[in-house]
Amino acid sequence: MTTTERPEHTAIGKREKRIEGPGKVTGLTQYTADVSLPNMLHCKLVLSPHPHARIISIEGRDALTVDGVTHVITAEDLARGTKDGSNPAVDASNRGDALLAHREVVFAGQPVAAVLAETPWAAEEGAAAVVVTYEELPAVLDVEAAMQPDSPLARPPVEHVDRSEEAAHVTIDVQEEESEGKPTNIASHVSFSRGDVAQGFAESDVIYERTWRSATMHQGYIEPQSNVASYEPATGELTVWSATQGQFHVRDTVMRILKWPETHLRVIAPELGGGFGAKMAQSPPLVGALSVIARKPVKLIFTRHEDILAATPAPGAVVKLKTGMKKDGTLVAFEGSIAYDAGAFPGAPAATGALLMSSFYRWPHLKVDGYEVLTNKVSAGAIRAPGVHNAMQAIEQHIDEMAREAGLDPAEVRSANAVRTGDPMSSGKAFNAIGLEETIEAAKQHPLWQSRSAAASRASAPNKRRGVGLAIGGWLGGLQPAAAELLLNTDGTVNALTGAVDISGTHTSFAQIVAEELNLPLDKISISTGDTKTAPFAGMSAGSKTVFTVGKALREAAIDLREQMFAVAAERLEANPADLETEDGEVRVKGTPTKSIGYDRLAAITTGFGALYKPLVGKGTITARNQAPGFSAQIAEVEVDTDTGFVELKDYVTVQDVGFAINPLSVEGQMEGGSVQGMGIGLWEEYIYDDSGHVRNAGLLDYRMPTAADVPEIDSIIVEVPSEDGPYGARGVGEPPITAGGAAIANAIADAIGSRVPQMPATPERVLRAMGKLGGAEAAGGG
Amino acid sequence: MTKQVFTLRVNGRDHDVFSEPNRTLLDVVRDELHLTGAKEGCGTGDCGACTMLIDGRNVTTCLMLAPDAVGREITTIEGLAEGEQLHPVQQAFIDNGGVQCGFCIPGMIMSSVALLERNPHPTRDEIRMEIAGNLCRCTGYRKIVDAIETAANANP
Repeated sequence: MTTTERPEHTAIGKREKRIEGPGKVTGLTQYTADVSLPNMLHCKLVLSPHPHARIISIEGRDALTVDGVTHVITAEDLARGTKDGSNPAVDASNRGDALLAHREVVFAGQPVAAVLAETPWAAEEGAAAVVVTYEELPAVLDVEAAMQPDSPLARPPVEHVDRSEEAAHVTIDVQEEESEGKPTNIASHVSFSRGDVAQGFAESDVIYERTWRSATMHQGYIEPQSNVASYEPATGELTVWSATQGQFHVRDTVMRILKWPETHLRVIAPELGGGFGAKMAQSPPLVGALSVIARKPVKLIFTRHEDILAATPAPGAVVKLKTGMKKDGTLVAFEGSIAYDAGAFPGAPAATGALLMSSFYRWPHLKVDGYEVLTNKVSAGAIRAPGVHNAMQAIEQHIDEMAREAGLDPAEVRSANAVRTGDPMSSGKAFNAIGLEETIEAAKQHPLWQSRSAAASRASAPNKRRGVGLAIGGWLGGLQPAAAELLLNTDGTVNALTGAVDISGTHTSFAQIVAEELNLPLDKISISTGDTKTAPFAGMSAGSKTVFTVGKALREAAIDLREQMFAVAAERLEANPADLETEDGEVRVKGTPTKSIGYDRLAAITTGFGALYKPLVGKGTITARNQAPGFSAQIAEVEVDTDTGFVELKDYVTVQDVGFAINPLSVEGQMEGGSVQGMGIGLWEEYIYDDSGHVRNAGLLDYRMPTAADVPEIDSIIVEVPSEDGPYGARGVGEPPITAGGAAIANAIADAIGSRVPQMPATPERVLRAMGKLGGAEAAGGG
Repeated sequence: MTKQVFTLRVNGRDHDVFSEPNRTLLDVVRDELHLTGAKEGCGTGDCGACTMLIDGRNVTTCLMLAPDAVGREITTIEGLAEGEQLHPVQQAFIDNGGVQCGFCIPGMIMSSVALLERNPHPTRDEIRMEIAGNLCRCTGYRKIVDAIETAANANP
């Protein structure tokens, strides 16, 4: 916990309660599922039962006899839902365009038809009555097999890859190359290299080589994917309410796919019930098209089962890695690849994963390849720090294993080799100001790490073994321009308007920024998210960039407003603007507090009848060109039951460089929430596929997310190494904390049992196998 | 299915409902009574977002048919605050940073209220066990446990 006092600041750097808290604790806050419109139809999707099949026919006659069912819509009908009569689903390369499957299904769970009805239960009954005839095709399910040149194809060749999801999260200079020539299942490939890897291994005293696997997992938001669309034929207006992290992204996606003019398109983002990278714009174009076709409002709320089968989970990966180190702990050589299981459409973060796996330490010699591999599984999307936990699982266990082999402290090896400000990433681009070294140092000083040698003695029973593990992770941060607007109200309060969806407490941080710049108490400031017709532009709330970009725009807007207020006040008070200051809701002449004018009076004389001055409207528009990478270091203590393989988390520390904590309470909330997602990745969460490509655990009983009883108390340590460009030195906060947990837990398990579990999550079966207590290979399809 | 009239007592008031009898209590409270505080996160009783109090006990109402609640005292999240005065558990969730996206919060708070009714001074471990049926994906639970502990500390 941070307790830093910040006398130099009036509002930022303080632990502030969520300003929207009262609405949320009383149940009054409206989410998308709470939107209900007159004459609204409910949509139920018919999902493919096969991972790969040709659609022979779709028969909706029986469904239409169900009382209340109004429409059965297939891909062929979608041209009636676009402005220009085009059909996005025909030959769709990207998931976004494939609103409904056209002629071929490429994963089990892919939407094939949409049934509309007057009640949700009629829609459900109707969907069950739709008869789809399929001709099954061979399914490609294993990433490594899919990469072979002679593998059958998972789907028709991809023509063009839409990278908007990945780009929303992170800005990287090097983009994946789309595969050309003979079609394969490798949708894209990226490669980085430096030095001479062969020479590097020749110079190495310790070499470690291993293959690592991680599972496809769900982002786990509690609010299912939810969308409502309402088309008004008389005006041509299409209004969409979407559970999304960015309403402008939804607007642009609907415009692109339905060819809908943005003058006649309004996207409203109600409060969001968790997104974690997965609430982008997948269903809005479909729901929009359905409303246009039906000429009535349409609501589509996924069930949890549908959300697991048919949304966009985070991809699993296979990492093959070989690393070399000198016996003094100097890292020398890195050679590896990371292949993401993209599922049936491209969009997995091959470049991000390859880059981040190889960029956090100073490797003189490196070669890394990233692959995005198509299979007949649900297509992957973004998650908090897309692709990074899969990469950290591998590299962070290599660091530990090489340190152990050389008899060194793994934390010291990390400190000695960690990248510093100005060091090159594996792409060659230099790091801006970073605090990885300081983050590792803070973790090293923590009592849990200091006392790790005593962990074994803390075991609660003779058949149990304890271990402590440390790992790092990080995130480069997204970049996107942003705008913000501030209005001075007649009572001297301030209303702020942005286009940013609050997914992490950003509204409270925004209020603190405005309060700081205008010297007002927090309760005099209101923050609103406008819709796409009223709000100044903001990008998606993703990539840990909301406060970093929109917060910066809001700060500029506040400074702009203050300057305008000073200009008017200077004239009224016959003073120089440079001699003015703010205090108690007034603009005053420094040293002469009696010469003052209240904010309320300034508003009145700039808005009232016959007022002499222009209205005071603060505007801020910013570009964001310099990333502010944020790093996390996490320490886990585990207790392994050597009879059952069950792993219990006993203690946990999460350390993060946040640059400057505008609201330490929110920052800790992000760190703790992200860390617990990392625990899920490390121990419990995975899509379990059977041999035929069906998900066996598509519900929250069997898809095991962490509960309060599963996770230990977490100690959050905030490190503040200022960034160059963030507001007050802040960095993105949301993403780094998910990146290190799986690896830290894996290292703790290895510390406890003396061997490594090469596949995440570390289920009891896999732990027992790592201990040599179970024979045989990894169960097929186990991620 | 033929609609029926039945009476639900919600937040101290009787409501006559005209609805199909095979709908869940959650659906009827949300769609017919327009009390949308309780949420559906899974529909299978696994996430706890739909939790209400039925005669003081926390129940996942996505698994309960509405007519089964006839004659029982139903309390939803909307019934906790007394006018402008938040329930101490609601206030403690805000004060301790226990609220993030808020979608699980109505159910989480109802489970917490039921817990503190049964056990006014739970340990942190007891709190964790008692709310294990309410999933939260944002907070990592620590600040939720802090909130419930804070509310418990105010109990006599």
